[in-house]
Amino acid sequence: MPNETPLIHTVTHASGEAGAGDQAAPPRSKIEVKALDFFYRGYHALKNVNLHIPEQQITAIIGPSGCGKSTLLRVFNRIYSVYAGLEATGEVLLDGENILDARFSLNRLRTRVGMVFQKAVPFPLSIFENVAFGLRHHLRLSRGEMDDRVEKALREAALWDEVKDKLHTSALGLSGGQQQRLCIARAVALRPQVLLLDEPTSALDPIATGRVEQLLADLQREYTIVIVTHNMQQAARVSAYTAYMYLGEMVEFGSTAELFTRPQRRQTEDYITGRFG
Amino acid sequence: MQSTRGLILRRRTSNVVSKLLGIAATGFGLSWLIWILIVTLLNGARALSPRIFTEMTPPPGADGGLANALVGSTLMSVLGVLIGAPLGIAAGTYLAEFAERRPVWRESIRFVNDILLSAPSIVLGLFVYTVLVRQVGHFSGISGALALALIVLPVVVRTTDETLRLVPNMMREAALSLGIPRWKVTVQVLYRAALPGILTGVLLGLARITGETAPLLFTALNNQFWSPNLNGPTASVPVVIFQFAMSPYDAWHSLAWAGAFVVTMVVLVLSVGARAFLLKNRMDSNA
Amino acid sequence: MGPAITRDRSASETRQDALFRWMLFGSAALVLVVLGAAALSMLWGGRQAFQTFGWRFILSDEWDPVGRHFGAFVPIYGTLVSSAIAMLIAVPVSFGIALFLTEIAPNWLQAPIAAAVELLAGIPSIIYGMWGLFSFVPFMSGHVLPWINDHLGPVPWLGALFRGPPLGIGMLTAGIVLGIMVIPFISSVMRDVFRTVPASLKESAYALGSTTWEVVWKVVLPYTRSAVVGGIFLGLGRALGETMAVTFVLGNAHQLSASLLMPGNSIAATIANEFTEADSDIYLSSLIALGFLLFVVTLIVLAIARLMLSNLARREGR
Repeated sequence: MPNETPLIHTVTHASGEAGAGDQAAPPRSKIEVKALDFFYRGYHALKNVNLHIPEQQITAIIGPSGCGKSTLLRVFNRIYSVYAGLEATGEVLLDGENILDARFSLNRLRTRVGMVFQKAVPFPLSIFENVAFGLRHHLRLSRGEMDDRVEKALREAALWDEVKDKLHTSALGLSGGQQQRLCIARAVALRPQVLLLDEPTSALDPIATGRVEQLLADLQREYTIVIVTHNMQQAARVSAYTAYMYLGEMVEFGSTAELFTRPQRRQTEDYITGRFG
Repeated sequence: MQSTRGLILRRRTSNVVSKLLGIAATGFGLSWLIWILIVTLLNGARALSPRIFTEMTPPPGADGGLANALVGSTLMSVLGVLIGAPLGIAAGTYLAEFAERRPVWRESIRFVNDILLSAPSIVLGLFVYTVLVRQVGHFSGISGALALALIVLPVVVRTTDETLRLVPNMMREAALSLGIPRWKVTVQVLYRAALPGILTGVLLGLARITGETAPLLFTALNNQFWSPNLNGPTASVPVVIFQFAMSPYDAWHSLAWAGAFVVTMVVLVLSVGARAFLLKNRMDSNA
Repeated sequence: MGPAITRDRSASETRQDALFRWMLFGSAALVLVVLGAAALSMLWGGRQAFQTFGWRFILSDEWDPVGRHFGAFVPIYGTLVSSAIAMLIAVPVSFGIALFLTEIAPNWLQAPIAAAVELLAGIPSIIYGMWGLFSFVPFMSGHVLPWINDHLGPVPWLGALFRGPPLGIGMLTAGIVLGIMVIPFISSVMRDVFRTVPASLKESAYALGSTTWEVVWKVVLPYTRSAVVGGIFLGLGRALGETMAVTFVLGNAHQLSASLLMPGNSIAATIANEFTEADSDIYLSSLIALGFLLFVVTLIVLAIARLMLSNLARREGR
């Protein structure tokens, strides 16, 4: 094994420990992926993926471009179903229930699994309405309750102080980093159990990135977080567990500390040490 | 060397000549535009007076106005847009959002829509004549509005389709991932994002029907008198222009020019306004 | 914080989505229905004429409302000839404009000029008619036609096209007005299509020392060939169906003449002018039959145009 300085410098986790994933007993699985295959108009994009996503931890999925990490993420909320020609076989169990089952309601799934995208996509509405959008559809809240929920979501996303005086202005007037935090607020407003993030900081500058990463560490208390990132340092900073994928296959999964210092597979080691990708 | 020099000279000459011809062609095209606009605006302005808006179309040789025709045109155009635009938006939405698993249907409808877009409007008028006017037994402003709606329809279908396709996929996915049903995502998020483009399409459709004459000839016909009741023959500005211009009476010619002026101004304002509106909104959303 | 969402409305939401989808599908299908119904209804309206006159309807040049004998040849001839003249004018001019806008004009000039050309397309046909009748026709009869008659008329063979009294209204005038009308349609297609040529393709040609003209003639045009033809067919489709501009200046004369200076008739003009005068069923049916013929021809032309244009779009990967 190469004797290099670990790439880890961790963000302070809520529990106060760095690298909280080195515990002996692994936490409970929130999502279990069993023999998942995914076909993208005939192209075999995910091959026999098996994976356990631990509850209330941050799991990072890393791998070179085209390895299928975003595809895997999109299976978790079945967002692919809106397109033709995309098909998943196998099982993905959320708290024991198979979400790939045709009878499992998509809308119900998405109230339990929220998603934040690569590029911040605020709706062409006010800041308040962006956050309230999901709430208005799913819940019957009074005016005061709605205001409360929106404020709490914005506080969770560390955006409240910056926008509290302009809640009813257009969300499009915010900076890129603020818009992304707005999208996070929008997603957590529904209090999902799982939060999926697809390269959430790839379009942000380092300062904004740092803020979002700190945010994730705080959110991890309440949510199970799965983050796809092409930035290995980010994975090392932020996550407790990491999965490495290559060409549609799940190559290795383990605690972040172990994967980055003592990877078990040659392929993983090659990727981490930058021999390719 | 002689042949090389000759070759270079020929190539250079053809280059210069082609550029000059290109400039000449553009000048040629634009000078017709200027001629037409000047003639219309001058003759029209000369014929304008408040009576245009207050008096009805007169009998042959007499003076009068275009009030009934203006009202009739407005009523039929508005009704035409009210019928054609929602249908067009719905169809365009289907093509852009809900036809992902049926490419054959989708492309066939797009194909036919494009043909309808350029089809002669006189044919659409005949169509409405045969299926509505003949059946009902009389001409009416409603059939006129229907014929106009058929002209608005493909314009709105196309702009809605194209505008919705420009909305980034991520926005669609972001709304869906909140657990919102697809119809709400379309109506409450996508339409809002696409609104400038859709509205522009509607305005362009309105501009298009403003000057349309042929389809009204067989449906609304014309009416010398006040005709707010759309269930009978209805006056319209283009048809009045047609009738008056082809007549031998100077007073009628003058009114025809006034009508032409009004039509041209409305079309210009709508077209330029629609484009400016679109531009302004595009800039806002990129802020 | 409040409770997580527990209400499950998936059944009703699925129904709502299905209803929505059906409404949209119905509207979209309407587009197909309109086209089909239009064709069928005109075939139905014209059936009396077709049944009475049969194939001779297309070939006969009779037009006798009193004797109730109608033939489509004169209007068909007029439509074709006026459209041909229009294309002869519009195609080179449109090409020149597209060339100017894509290769010659400086960047800041392109948008305003393009907008101005588009304005030509926005002017309603009846305005073209008014201007045509009151402004252009006197110009033609006063200045242009006499010259043509004097200088081109005596030419053997071809001169027959150019001989005649300088009435002003007539085939040539109508063809010119049509041509002007159709220019913006063809030029905007050409311009859009020229712009899809990859810059790298043109740059390599320039790097080899080609002149602008050579790049256009030898690189741009071949690359966009089928779409350019599509644009031309689009213009033709418009020209064939044009009503008011032609009605004002063609003369509404049911006579065949070799000379372009003589008045004639087109299908659309005939229908527009005589519809209200049709006093017998067979008269009306003949007019509708004319409409059907026009519809079918424009349908074919526009379908060809669309096919050729979508070929290029497909190549672009759109």
